[in-house]
Amino acid sequence: MTTSGQAAIRARRRARFTEVVREIASHPSALIGAGLLLLIVVLALLAPVLMPMDRLDVTKITAHGNESPSGGHWLGTDPSGRDVLGLLLWGSRASLLVGFSATAIAMVIGTVFGMAAGHFTGLTRAVVLRIIDFFLVVPSLVLAIVLSTVLSRGLSTIVIAIGVTSWAQTARVVRAQTLTIETRPYIERSRALGAGDRHIIGKHVLPAVMPLVMANTTLTVGSAIILESTLAFLGLGDPTTFSWGSMLKTALDTGAATAGYWWFVLAPGVAIVIVVLCFTLVGRALEAVLNPTLRSR
Amino acid sequence: MTEPTLVWDDVRITYAGGNVAVDGVSLEVERGGTVGLAGESGCGKSTLAMSVLRLLPRSARIEGRIVLQGEEVAGMTWGRLRAVRWTEAAIVFQGAMHSLNPVRQVRHQVAEALALHSTKEFPDSAARLRRVDELLALVDLTPAKGRAYPHELSGGQRQRVMIAMALACDPELIIADEPTTALDVVVQAQVLDVLNGLVRDRELTLVMISHDLAVLAAVCDRIVVMQDGRIVEQGKAQQILAAPTHEHTKELAAAFPIIGDPSSRLVVGRDPGSLSDHSSLSVSTSSTGGVVLEVRDLTVDFRSRGQHVRAVDHVDLSCGAGEIVALVGQSGSGKTTLARTILGLQKPTSGQVLHEGKPLPHRRAALKAYRRQVQYVLQDPTASLNPKHTVYEAVAEGIRIHGLDDERERVIRALTRAELTPPERFFAAIPQELSGGQRQRVVIAGALALDPTYLVADEPVASLDASVRGEILALLLQLRRDLGLGALVITHDLGLAWNIADRVVVMHRGQIVENGPVEQVLLDPQHDYTKSLLAVVPSKLGLR
Repeated sequence: MTTSGQAAIRARRRARFTEVVREIASHPSALIGAGLLLLIVVLALLAPVLMPMDRLDVTKITAHGNESPSGGHWLGTDPSGRDVLGLLLWGSRASLLVGFSATAIAMVIGTVFGMAAGHFTGLTRAVVLRIIDFFLVVPSLVLAIVLSTVLSRGLSTIVIAIGVTSWAQTARVVRAQTLTIETRPYIERSRALGAGDRHIIGKHVLPAVMPLVMANTTLTVGSAIILESTLAFLGLGDPTTFSWGSMLKTALDTGAATAGYWWFVLAPGVAIVIVVLCFTLVGRALEAVLNPTLRSR
Repeated sequence: MTEPTLVWDDVRITYAGGNVAVDGVSLEVERGGTVGLAGESGCGKSTLAMSVLRLLPRSARIEGRIVLQGEEVAGMTWGRLRAVRWTEAAIVFQGAMHSLNPVRQVRHQVAEALALHSTKEFPDSAARLRRVDELLALVDLTPAKGRAYPHELSGGQRQRVMIAMALACDPELIIADEPTTALDVVVQAQVLDVLNGLVRDRELTLVMISHDLAVLAAVCDRIVVMQDGRIVEQGKAQQILAAPTHEHTKELAAAFPIIGDPSSRLVVGRDPGSLSDHSSLSVSTSSTGGVVLEVRDLTVDFRSRGQHVRAVDHVDLSCGAGEIVALVGQSGSGKTTLARTILGLQKPTSGQVLHEGKPLPHRRAALKAYRRQVQYVLQDPTASLNPKHTVYEAVAEGIRIHGLDDERERVIRALTRAELTPPERFFAAIPQELSGGQRQRVVIAGALALDPTYLVADEPVASLDASVRGEILALLLQLRRDLGLGALVITHDLGLAWNIADRVVVMHRGQIVENGPVEQVLLDPQHDYTKSLLAVVPSKLGLR
């Protein structure tokens, strides 16, 4: 590839990118979602600065258990006297980490399987489709529970369990898009030029399904965070790390809700809702921008 | 004097962004009159027609008066407009496939208009369906066809369903927007016949839009030629066709040559003088080359819903180096399947394809090498280019697949040969920014980039405008002259064969029924099928 051709292509990509950014910016809900998300990510990264770990150390804290919100503890304390705001900050790290990395795994598997199921024919397609169907019909929560009990305990197990169980929908969507792309005459032209499977998938199919994958990503992140909370709530998470799910579990175990300690139940619950909502807002806007047929609806 | 059915009085239609689609058009359509609107895409003919029923997008601003049956369209209330749509004026849309709901039987779709507009005459669904059967009979369809779904009907049948739908509420005026554009010649003749009969028997007023003057002349008394939103010429159909005065009309008329007219033989494009000397030279030299492609006893079967369909039936064909062969036939005659089999995109059931005497290889690597030699140009240039790829990427695609060096040099050379100059200007363009003709040139450049020895072109100009059609055909002739590049051109248009081909091969139901030099086949056809094809060429329909 030569410089002028490359430069021209780069300029076009840049122009397209700014266009997409401008389109997204024209959706106020997406801006709010993206802004909040950025804030939450920054807070999660700054957790060690804002709330040093030793302030959550049960042996060093002075506060009583189940204190209601006050100037000292904005969101009150948990049954062992730890600051709920601190737990929330530290818990966001695990929740976001699991959400992002599990989604990454799910997207890669989903895209690869989806494209394979759409591109190939005959036996390959039949086998790939049955695998997708298997993961589609097995309840992902049950499968995730099984996986996280079989594998060793830890955050990475949760990531794998969620990643492996939540790619099937993406694969189906990608397959549908692949099928429509494959019938386009430009695929035929490419074949007539001598292209093989790798070229067609890499140059024509992958770029065409990417927008869908991107939009799906943001939607999957939300459900991955919920799934992580669920697993932690069921006691299948890593007991040594805080996450919003494990906070809810502690709340359940200590009877916080029935005892009227609302701050300890509501805080992680609302946090989960906000993050998932933000991802959904951004995801919907992204979908509308990248898929022009959804515009003006 | 009765009042005219439809009047446009100094109508000006502007789209958002200041784009003037119709620029001061005044036109009257008398009761029972038939008017053809001709022009290239973008000349405003569709906008003008849609304005009658206020079917334009919101962004369109209409100035001037449009009067339908003595009533001003702009002044109608919503309820009145809804009543007028379909009962007084109905539209037959362009793409019959896209205008029909794929998941409903067509008779229910025809009945829909009745249910909306004529509940008094046809109160229950049984009465409506009886009326639908009558309507279908008007357009020569049996009631059984009404129970079919759109995909089970052929293109011509679907178009006739659309016409039946338009007739449902006995409108005074029918607007037909390119009703035959996507149809092949035989079916086109049938649809035009139906329209002709309806106009005669029911004294309909018809406004028909087309880019093909000959098609309009076959149905309409009067033709109006538009360019850039203005009327440039109007008059009696025969007069426009036989003696056009305006430049643009001449161009439109020239794009559909009269078979047998020596002045359009192997001469196309806007500058016939300089081309004719060369191309007449090349004819004598071209046929001396050896055989590049040969098809021996080729049969291709498809299996669909448990039935075997024989698309190609024991076909023998050979194409010499530098020879332009036109493969002519109706849609469904197996032309495209034959082309795809020749390119190795479709496995033959039996028989052989030979390239320079050697049978087509089955191994991938060898097949890839073969595909460098024989290139494919598809029907619709818009669809055959990836909308996300720049021109540079599209042309370089084959070069990259085959791992050739000097990518940039080859791209420049290919674009120059396809007459996209200066090539650098087109590098960064995406297909959307190019005109139809330029897009087809990009596709041809992509094929040329691999220095092929033969081209297979499937309806290379069927989706292009009349004037662009000439340019692309001239390009094919010039490539033959400069590079000795032969081509197998698949077409349903016998005029195209007359324009550029050395030899014509007529295909009917998978079999080749006639094969010989252009002059012989087209001027002295032997087979009945060839004769019937020649009989329905629009330029002859008009003279009938």
